[in-house]
Amino acid sequence: MFSSFSFYEKARNKEIVAGLSLISIAVILNIVFGYFAMMFALYLSFFKWDYIGEMQFVGLKNFEIVIRDLIRGLHGAPYLLSPFYTGLKNILIYTAIVVPVQTFLAIVLAAFANQKIKGQQFFKVSYFLPATTSSVIVALIFIWLFMKNGFINFALAHIIPGFQPIDWINSREYLLLAIAIVAIWGTSGHFMVSFLAAMQAIPKEIYEAAMLDGAGPIRRFFFITIPMLRPMIVYVVVMGLIGALQMFDLAWVMAGANGGPGGAGYTVALDIYNEAFTRIRPGVAAAKSWFLFAIIFTTTYLFQKKYGRAMR
Amino acid sequence: MKKVLVGGLLIFALLFAVVASGCIGGQTQTPTGETKTETQVKTETKVETQVQEKVFIRFAGWSAGETEMKNYERMIKEFEQKNPTIGVKYEVITQMFHENILASFGAGVAPDVFYLDSSWAPIFIDKGALYPISDLADQSFIDKFYPFLLEPFKKNGKLYGLPKDWSMLALFYNKKLFEQAGLTKPPETWEELEEYAKIIADKTGKPGLAIYLGGFNRYVPVAVSNGAPKPWFEKPEDASWFDNPVVKETLAWYINLYKKGKIEREQQGLTPYVVAPGDVGAGWLGDAFGQQQVAMVISGNWMIPFLADQFPDFKYGEDWDIAPVPAGKSGRVTMAYTVILGINAKSEHPQEAWKFVEFLLGPEGQKELVVKAGQTLPSMKGFENDPDMWPQHRKTLSFKYDDMIVFLWGPKSGPLEGKFSDAMAAAMRGEMTIDEAIEVMKQVVQEELSS
Repeated sequence: MFSSFSFYEKARNKEIVAGLSLISIAVILNIVFGYFAMMFALYLSFFKWDYIGEMQFVGLKNFEIVIRDLIRGLHGAPYLLSPFYTGLKNILIYTAIVVPVQTFLAIVLAAFANQKIKGQQFFKVSYFLPATTSSVIVALIFIWLFMKNGFINFALAHIIPGFQPIDWINSREYLLLAIAIVAIWGTSGHFMVSFLAAMQAIPKEIYEAAMLDGAGPIRRFFFITIPMLRPMIVYVVVMGLIGALQMFDLAWVMAGANGGPGGAGYTVALDIYNEAFTRIRPGVAAAKSWFLFAIIFTTTYLFQKKYGRAMR
Repeated sequence: MKKVLVGGLLIFALLFAVVASGCIGGQTQTPTGETKTETQVKTETKVETQVQEKVFIRFAGWSAGETEMKNYERMIKEFEQKNPTIGVKYEVITQMFHENILASFGAGVAPDVFYLDSSWAPIFIDKGALYPISDLADQSFIDKFYPFLLEPFKKNGKLYGLPKDWSMLALFYNKKLFEQAGLTKPPETWEELEEYAKIIADKTGKPGLAIYLGGFNRYVPVAVSNGAPKPWFEKPEDASWFDNPVVKETLAWYINLYKKGKIEREQQGLTPYVVAPGDVGAGWLGDAFGQQQVAMVISGNWMIPFLADQFPDFKYGEDWDIAPVPAGKSGRVTMAYTVILGINAKSEHPQEAWKFVEFLLGPEGQKELVVKAGQTLPSMKGFENDPDMWPQHRKTLSFKYDDMIVFLWGPKSGPLEGKFSDAMAAAMRGEMTIDEAIEVMKQVVQEELSS
């Protein structure tokens, strides 16, 4: 009795016990569904398996399949014969469109929402609303808007004279762009909140000092707000990169499992899914997942290294 | 001291959560007498011996709607009343059914009885995932089924599944549009199909025929009815099916239906006579037909309940009718789509599972679940003139065909169907030539079957 009592009496021990027990649920869940799954995927990538029978060790064969796919794609094979290459190419283009635009838009929206104007609460809510909506539902609504005789073509025809309606969803050229537009619409509001919080944390004194020196609102935005937001910009870009490179839901709904016309909306994540469940090659799917992980890890690492360091 | 208590409670709660979570997903063989779990350690376990052992089997299916689910629940209740020692747990998997079943095999928790689409069957049969039905069923019971529906589920003299129901393709045509175009009967041959579609487009201003962009399984009847062998891809060399002159010719004809009927016609400023459902703002063929945007579609029995439900004013007999799939040079051929009830080879209770399957597939089950429900066709012979069968379904069953092809192209049916359809769609849209599409399809076969 005495020993356990003194154990708890020590403030440090108490903190350790309370701390460990509080984080344990999160840690256990993370280990089981995160790290275990990840390690199992690595293990799986060396095996040939069909879920039902026995696993069969094949060494690096699964990775060879992925590399052969990439090489074939680089030599210009049609997308049906080089699905991973097609998915990778599409997702890189998609990321190159989505991440800069959504970050820029989020800053602009946050700057507007940060103004002391009438009804700003309404704008904040309406910017953030897309982030609270399920992406599948958003995609379904946008399919409707993007139809050949849908609202977007109708609006564009009124704005641009001589505009010919585009069949967004069924066209090889525009499908990926349509998906990117939906993604930007859906995520900008979400990141706006991050920027808004960061903006409100910027000390007022800096602005006051700049005003005394005669800096106008535009100069204040570019020379104070943007530099002060830098750590948040790095965070948003990194999160955006991670999200965009493994995009699945929008492509699944808007392009379908096979990536739509000519594989225009095919992504790496769709290919991993198809490999695991349509072609029944979970080993190859795991190998492809590790490829995708390597790509995401290197891009975010390089970006962090280059821009993340300058944090205060 | 209070804090000590709180800390202790917290640890206890955590431990309990871990232990409890370990219990979830354990064996389902709970004795019927037990009603609640006691938290005390000293519970007596002698109660169990008095209770009669009840066996539970798990049954997984997808659902074509709430009615189907309720029908199954009713039948399960009936079965449980007749067999008090067997309990059935009905699990409805609404999305990506076969993927789910595969994953559950991977995790070792697959259901005892499950639906299995014909196109997925070879994977399960080859890997020994299915219990051979022929070891459990009487031959007289098996003989009651349509023999062509059993063919895909046989291997090395054993039968691995019995179909729960089936559907076949037929030609659906809009009588009013036919009348407006001055046509008195549905097309008899593939050439007539195209000709009629053109006449309807010219006379009524509505496209005559809707087809899917791609849709390999819809093209196969054209090839086989013109003398091509049934497609079957088991090894890389089977890609030579596409070198057959009949295949080349019919595939070009089918792809050109859309290229000439839609793309070229629009370039000439004329009404297209062939469209895809999306071109007329419809989600699928049944939708396009029900909206009366097109005069003809070739589709399956699943159209019938859909039309009755979604377009009640568009009446069978008065407004639309069913005809056999058009014939080719060497006969009339249609596609059959079927789903079996498979029994898990690793099931601990195959006998009980079979009892349940036999009940669902027997005459009584088929009458309730298939004939009266009106979604599909019964897989057992003898219902052809049943008064409970919907007249539309009865009509499709009355058509005479020279051959029925069950939707199955070999062990990789799923991916092959998807990729063939993609290549065909690309050719239909004019993104590649027909020869290029055929070349891609051949390479797909070699690629998929080489490992």
